[in-house]
Amino acid sequence: MFRYLMILGLTLFLPGLYALGYSVYQGPSAWMVDSQTFWGTPISLFVFWIGLAHAGTLLSAIFLALDIKLDRRTALIAELSTLVSLVFAGIFPLMHLGVIDNFYMVAPFLDARGNFANVRSPLVWDFCCIAVYALLSLLFFGVHLKSREIPALDKYRKPLAWLLFPLVLWVHTIVSLDFAATFVPQWRGAFFPVYFIAGAILSGLALVNLLICAEGYRVRLLERLQLICTWILCAIWIWDLILKGYFCTSAFIFAGVLPQLRMVSVIREHRLGRIFFSVSILVGLFLERYYLVSPTAASATFGRIDLGLVAFSVGGFMLLFFGIRRYLNRNMEGAGSYFGEVDGTDLAEAEQEEFEKENFTGVRGIQKLRKGFYMQPWSSEEYRILRFPLLVGFAAAVLFSVWVWSQSVFANVDLSIANVIPLLYPIVAVVTAFTLCVRAYFVEKSFDMTRREKTLCVVLLVLAAACLGTFFAGGSSEKSAKVLDSQPIGVDTPVSQNHARLVWNARCATCHGTDGRFNEKFVREFYPVPQKLDLQRLDSLGADSLVKVILNGRNNMNAYAGRLTPEEALGLVNYMRTLAEMLSENAAPESVKEGEK
Amino acid sequence: MTPLANSLSCLIALGCASFLWRKGSSPYRNGAFLAGFLVLFGVFCYFGGDINDPTLEHYPFRMLALCLCLSTTSLPLYRRRYLVLAQSLWCWIELFGGIALYYRGIDIAWTRIAALLCMTLCSTFLSKISKEMEFCLMVFWLAVWVFF
Repeated sequence: MFRYLMILGLTLFLPGLYALGYSVYQGPSAWMVDSQTFWGTPISLFVFWIGLAHAGTLLSAIFLALDIKLDRRTALIAELSTLVSLVFAGIFPLMHLGVIDNFYMVAPFLDARGNFANVRSPLVWDFCCIAVYALLSLLFFGVHLKSREIPALDKYRKPLAWLLFPLVLWVHTIVSLDFAATFVPQWRGAFFPVYFIAGAILSGLALVNLLICAEGYRVRLLERLQLICTWILCAIWIWDLILKGYFCTSAFIFAGVLPQLRMVSVIREHRLGRIFFSVSILVGLFLERYYLVSPTAASATFGRIDLGLVAFSVGGFMLLFFGIRRYLNRNMEGAGSYFGEVDGTDLAEAEQEEFEKENFTGVRGIQKLRKGFYMQPWSSEEYRILRFPLLVGFAAAVLFSVWVWSQSVFANVDLSIANVIPLLYPIVAVVTAFTLCVRAYFVEKSFDMTRREKTLCVVLLVLAAACLGTFFAGGSSEKSAKVLDSQPIGVDTPVSQNHARLVWNARCATCHGTDGRFNEKFVREFYPVPQKLDLQRLDSLGADSLVKVILNGRNNMNAYAGRLTPEEALGLVNYMRTLAEMLSENAAPESVKEGEK
Repeated sequence: MTPLANSLSCLIALGCASFLWRKGSSPYRNGAFLAGFLVLFGVFCYFGGDINDPTLEHYPFRMLALCLCLSTTSLPLYRRRYLVLAQSLWCWIELFGGIALYYRGIDIAWTRIAALLCMTLCSTFLSKISKEMEFCLMVFWLAVWVFF
C-alpha cells in the first residue's frame, strides 16, 4: 500500500519540483500574486501546511496532557505527520521572500553588519515559533519512540506535552497575526488567532484521519472531533460574514456542509466515505487559505506554476511520509508494536486496558474513586520535573527582553512590549526543553545512548551552531563589493526596456514594488525601508553609481553580481528612471490640485 | 458597545454557561452548543453594538471565553485544571486580539489582561473549590468583564 502511495506521491512531486525550481529562479513573478495583498500561492501553501502540522502536537501532546487516551500508533502517526508537514511549511516562506539570501534577516539577533532583525515584524515571530516548534516536535517524537525501549523516559513525555501545549497554539496564533497585524481591509480581525487555531485543528484532524484510513483502521474519537470542529468553524465563518459581508462559499461547502454527511451511517461506516470527508475538509481549507491570501482573486491567475507548487507539496508529503513509514517498518525493531503495521486494534485495546487498570486500581486510581478527590496544588509529577527547567526558560526570556531594549540600534525604532511578547514563549520553550534534556541525561542513570544516537546529537548541535553562525554572518554584499569595486563597470549598452521590466518584476518588485513606489506592506512590515528612487535622487547618484549598487550591494540591498549581467543592471537603472518619471508626472497634477485648494 | 449592552452580554454568557458540560451529555451536544453560542454572541454583537468598531471584532470570542470560565465551576472533575485553562484562553484572546488591534492604533487592555493573568496564576493554588469560592470566582470574572 505504502509503495503505491509513494509512487503516486512521486508522480506529483517530480513536475512539482520543476515548478519549485522555476519559482526560485524566476522570483515572485512566477506564481500568482494578489495585486492588493502582494501575497500569493506560497503563503497560501505555508498557512495550509502549518495548519496540518498541528495534528501531531494536538492529538498526541494535548491529549496526553489532558489525560485523554490515544493509542500509541495513532499518536506516532500524528507526530510524524507534524514533522513532515513542517518540512513543506518551511519551504514556502523562503520562496515568498523572493530574495532567499535575505533569510538571515528574520533571526532575532544582531548580524555581523550590526543589523538587528525587525522585531516588530510578524515574519520574525513566525521564524522563531516555527523553528522552536519543529525542534520540540522532533524531541517529542524521539522521546516517544525511545520511551518504549527506556521506560525512564516515559515520565518526560507529559512535561514535554505541557510545554508543547501552549507552543502549538502560539505558532498558529502568530501565523494569524501575519494577517491581522496588516492594513488589508479583508484581514481585519482581532479574532483571527482563534479562527486560525480552529482551522488548523480541523485540518490537522482531517489529515490524521486520512492517514489512519491509509493505515487501514479508524479512531472514532477523532472522527467525532472532526465533525464538531466543522460546526465551530462554520460558526466562526458566520461571524466573519456578519462582520465583513462576505466569506468563502466554496470553503463553506467543502469543509462545512459536505462533512455533515457523516451523520449518514452508510457513508460513515464505509472507508471511502471517511476518506471523502477528510479530503473534502482538506480541499475546503486549502480554498479558504487561498481566498484569505488572495481576497481579490480576479486580479490574479492561478496558473501552471501554482498548480505545480501544490503538486510539489502534496506529492512531497506523500513521498516523505510514506517513505519514512516504509523505512521504519523495514528497519525498526518491533515496528509492528509501534505502528501496528496491518491492524493494531488488539494493541489499542491492550493499551486501553492497561490505562484503565492504572486509573482504577493504581494508587491514584483508588484516590480518584473517593468522593471529593483532589490533587494538592503544584504537586503533580510533571510539575516537579518541569519547575527548574521552566525557571531557567523564564530567566532566559527576561534576559532576552532586557537585551533587546538595551540595543542601541533600537534608538530609532518605536518598540513596545506588544512587539516582543510573541517572541517570549518560544524562547521559554526552547530553553526549558534544552534544560530538560540536560537534566534527563545527567539524572537518569538508565538513560544510555548508543554510539549512533550520540553521533546524531553531536551532528544536530553542530548543524544548529552552523545555522546560527550563518545567520550572524549575514549577506554577501560586503564580500562581493571588495571584489567588484576595483573593477570598472565599462557598460554602455543596456538590455531592452522590456527585458529590464521582466528583470525588475522578478528581482526588484518584491521590495521596490512593480511601479517603483515600494511594496509598502512588505517593506514596512518585514524589512528596513529602502531608499526612495525619485528622479532627483537618481540624477544625483548617476547611472554608473547605481549599476555598482545593484551589482555590489549596499547596506541591506543584496549584491546581484552573480545573477545579473552589467548590461541588465544598466537596463534596470534606465527602467527605474522611466518609473520615476511616470511617478513624478502622476504626482505633479496632484500637487497642482492641492495648490488650487 | 454601551455599558448596558456590555453588562447584558455577560448575563447572556452566564445563562449559556449553564447548558454546558451537563452530566452524561455527549461531545456532540456540547460541541453543537458551543457553535450555537458563538453564533448567538455574534448576532448579539451585530445588534448590540456598532459593527464597524474594531474592538467588537473579537467580542463574541471574549463572550465565549467568559462562558467557558463560568461553566468550569460546574465540572465534576479536574475543575482546577479546566478553570485555569479557560482563563488562559480568555487571556489569550484578549492578548493576541489586543496585539492585532495595537497594529491598527488601538491600545491593548493591559488592566484586563493583568487581572486575568493574576487570577489564572492564583487559581493554580486553589485546592478544594467550595461553593463560596465558586461564587467569588464568578463575581471576579463578571467584575473584570464589566469594569475593566
